[in-house]
Amino acid sequence: MRQKKRPVGKFMMAASICFFYLPILYIVIFSFNESKSLTSFTGFSLRWYLHMLESHGMMSALYTTFSVAVLATLISTVVGTLAAIGVSSSRKIIRDLMEQVNNLPIMNPEIVTAIGLMLLFITFQVERGYTTMLLAHIAFCIPYVMLSVTPKIRSLDPNLADAAMDLGASPFQALTKVVVPQIMPGIISGALIAFTMSIDDFVISYFVTGQGVRNISILVYTMSKRVNPSINALSTLVILIITLVMVLVNVLPLIMKKRERRDELTPRRMVVPAAVALCAVVAVVAFLSARQTDTGLPYAGQTLHIYNWGEYTGENILSDFEEETGATIVMENFDSNEQMYIKVANGESYDILVPSDYMIQRLIEEGFLQELDDSLLDCWDKLDENCLDLSYDPGNVYSVPYFWGTVGIVYDTTVVDLEDLEAEGFNIFLDEKYKGDIYLYDSERDSFMMAFKALGYSMNTENEDEIQEAYEWLVQCVQTMEPEIVTDEIIDNMAQGRKALGLVYSGDAAYIMTENENMGFYLPESGTNLWTDAMVIPANAQNVELTHVFINYVCDYDGAYDNSSYVGYTSPNAEVMAELSGEGGDYEGINAYLPRTDNENDEVFVYNENTKKTLANLWSKVKIEASNAN
Amino acid sequence: MKRFSKLAIPYIAWAVLMLLLPMLLIAVYSFTDQGNSIIPFTFTLDNYVKFFTDPDFLLILWRSILIALKTTVLCLLLGYPIAYFIARCEEKTQNLLILCITFPMWINMLVRTYAWIGLLSEGGLVQRVLSLLGLADGELLYTEGAVLLGMVYNFLPFMILQIQTSLSKMDYALLDTSADLGASPRETFRLVTLPLSMPGVVNCITLVFLPAVSSFFIPKMLGGGQYFLIGNMIENQFITVGEWNFGSAIAIIMAVIMMCLMMLVRRIEARNEGGKGERP
Repeated sequence: MRQKKRPVGKFMMAASICFFYLPILYIVIFSFNESKSLTSFTGFSLRWYLHMLESHGMMSALYTTFSVAVLATLISTVVGTLAAIGVSSSRKIIRDLMEQVNNLPIMNPEIVTAIGLMLLFITFQVERGYTTMLLAHIAFCIPYVMLSVTPKIRSLDPNLADAAMDLGASPFQALTKVVVPQIMPGIISGALIAFTMSIDDFVISYFVTGQGVRNISILVYTMSKRVNPSINALSTLVILIITLVMVLVNVLPLIMKKRERRDELTPRRMVVPAAVALCAVVAVVAFLSARQTDTGLPYAGQTLHIYNWGEYTGENILSDFEEETGATIVMENFDSNEQMYIKVANGESYDILVPSDYMIQRLIEEGFLQELDDSLLDCWDKLDENCLDLSYDPGNVYSVPYFWGTVGIVYDTTVVDLEDLEAEGFNIFLDEKYKGDIYLYDSERDSFMMAFKALGYSMNTENEDEIQEAYEWLVQCVQTMEPEIVTDEIIDNMAQGRKALGLVYSGDAAYIMTENENMGFYLPESGTNLWTDAMVIPANAQNVELTHVFINYVCDYDGAYDNSSYVGYTSPNAEVMAELSGEGGDYEGINAYLPRTDNENDEVFVYNENTKKTLANLWSKVKIEASNAN
Repeated sequence: MKRFSKLAIPYIAWAVLMLLLPMLLIAVYSFTDQGNSIIPFTFTLDNYVKFFTDPDFLLILWRSILIALKTTVLCLLLGYPIAYFIARCEEKTQNLLILCITFPMWINMLVRTYAWIGLLSEGGLVQRVLSLLGLADGELLYTEGAVLLGMVYNFLPFMILQIQTSLSKMDYALLDTSADLGASPRETFRLVTLPLSMPGVVNCITLVFLPAVSSFFIPKMLGGGQYFLIGNMIENQFITVGEWNFGSAIAIIMAVIMMCLMMLVRRIEARNEGGKGERP
């Protein structure tokens, strides 16, 4: 073969290596960044690593990922090998049928396999969590193992096992001493594929998980909306672990080979170091993620399952609560009320939920909540009366406020004229002067609220013409204004002044304004949504007493202060609210922090099943229009 | 070996439960509009009618197929020369290069995609380099380009490995023979190398096109909420809207389209192989 210089090939090769490694390099470098910025490196620091080690979810995600991968690999390799031997020695019709069935997860788009398994678990009412994730991983790994073992079995002499048995071996011995060693290379490559598939899986895990069990993929997917450099720290740790495993797998056998002076490199020798390395990794991660429990505390050994919004708790409140009570908190996050509702309605069990007003009304109407036990609560007189006894739960029989606020417009005071805002209100989102410079929030409730208020209607209207008009208003907005429809990304992006206008919750606005002094917050006179997110107890809660202890803790000065000062949302605790917005407080002079309570156009959301469904469908269509517009 | 056939029985039961039944469930859900409880079952085609009578949904489907097609073509154009380069290196270099390409695949896909958010956003490295070169102004993140980049990034390694495998299985004596018989290097490539690597290329379509059509986290992370593909539609129906019947119908439609496509690809492949044998 002629060797040429091949400059084009070399260039492409080098370029592709750069392309593949650029993001990895980026992650490693920025995990040591001092500031929160994702784009400029400001100095060396280990703070994101500390943050990661302290973070509740991250270490357990690491543990979940690796332990599921190791278990799924082990089980699917053993089962897959035996099944492959079994199927290969069956009749042809069974072989062909099994090949077709095994092809299902390989040939189908992952999302189809994922929703299939999700529907399966729901139909059989299996509670989703770690076990279902493991079962799902085993289910999609086995076909890959069989795919790589079967050809090896086909190439075996079919009389081999019989010969062994004729010579006095038991079937088990024939299998383990004769057949398995012959097909070992296939088994090993099958195990490797299974491990890779499991450790990299996102789609299937995402649909079959529950109870706050997250692997790294799910964690990254749910946390990526807010700038959070701890993700880079966690990713660097993953990169380090994988590098170590790869080095061990590739280098150790070479060293052993040299030492033993044997000329052939058997794959079996690769497996030992790999397995040792993996077990070590799992052990270390398990150690790091394990939390010691002090048995002397009142609620030691008990677990509290919380289902809350993402990034919605103070820095220390959970660990302080755990320290004081001895209980363990498992927190799962949602990013919309609807997502939470689907899980609760399908029977998943939590101790506390933190939904919004209209959703609480719905959960009450549909019998998913239980009444609070007033004898266990000591929080009522600490809370601001403006956020109590509202239409969604008169008399607060079911709910205790967690945060409250409004929805308004965050604007860049250096770009947007306050006069425009005052003249146009929400209609500024149709003003082509600001085309390409706006964010919408991806929520049917808030977007339709904006449209209804811009048109001068009640946001609780059931009038079909008004709904249609609001829909057209939104379609006009997405078709003419080139908005970006985002969720929590809006917070960091507005804080960096990326766009001039955005529809933002007051609490996020307060955070944005503390980060960037050029940003202002405006509430149109035509009214807005006065919302409350409140703690409620599902009917199927398992630890009602501890739940009440937690509710008291959140409403108490320390807990409320930590929550509100860290997250930026308005505390229902009157003392905390006054202190944070008063002189020297974190939110002094920031109008977004104190909710407006004196405009009679402001409304509280009312749940209506039909309107809700109509709006959900129309909002999907608005997003599709937006997608099709560009 | 016959006595080991008993070993298959537990797995057959498992496969029916965990692989076959889920697919049947999706189908059942897609043919009813009873919401999340399927008993008692009433048959309806409404979900399918709803999908096929709405031009907006069809447009989303079409765009998903289009972007997957673009991804596949780009991966092929970039992946083939790279694979060809690797396949023609010495064996030691080959192994090293393959390792270099497989290594990133071991690191979580979402982690690597997440990194692109920082690289592409305003003031990020890629954006700065491009504007220094005067190539791009304006936003990179949350555009179709970003989604395409994310897809090529995630799926290109599969393409390279697959083509490289089929190229390195090739008998290089054929190339010398072809040259000896007077073919120019270009002719040799067109008449010998390319046809021989065709099975690998066809396989790539399953490895790249299929996951690209149904991908939903790449468009969501790099395209933003206003960038909607068919995978996002399914996720949306299941996670936020809660209309599992309609979501199942979309999933079935997608799965059927994919299956037809695969069968078509296999038929073409089979015809190609058959054709080769007939040639003198």
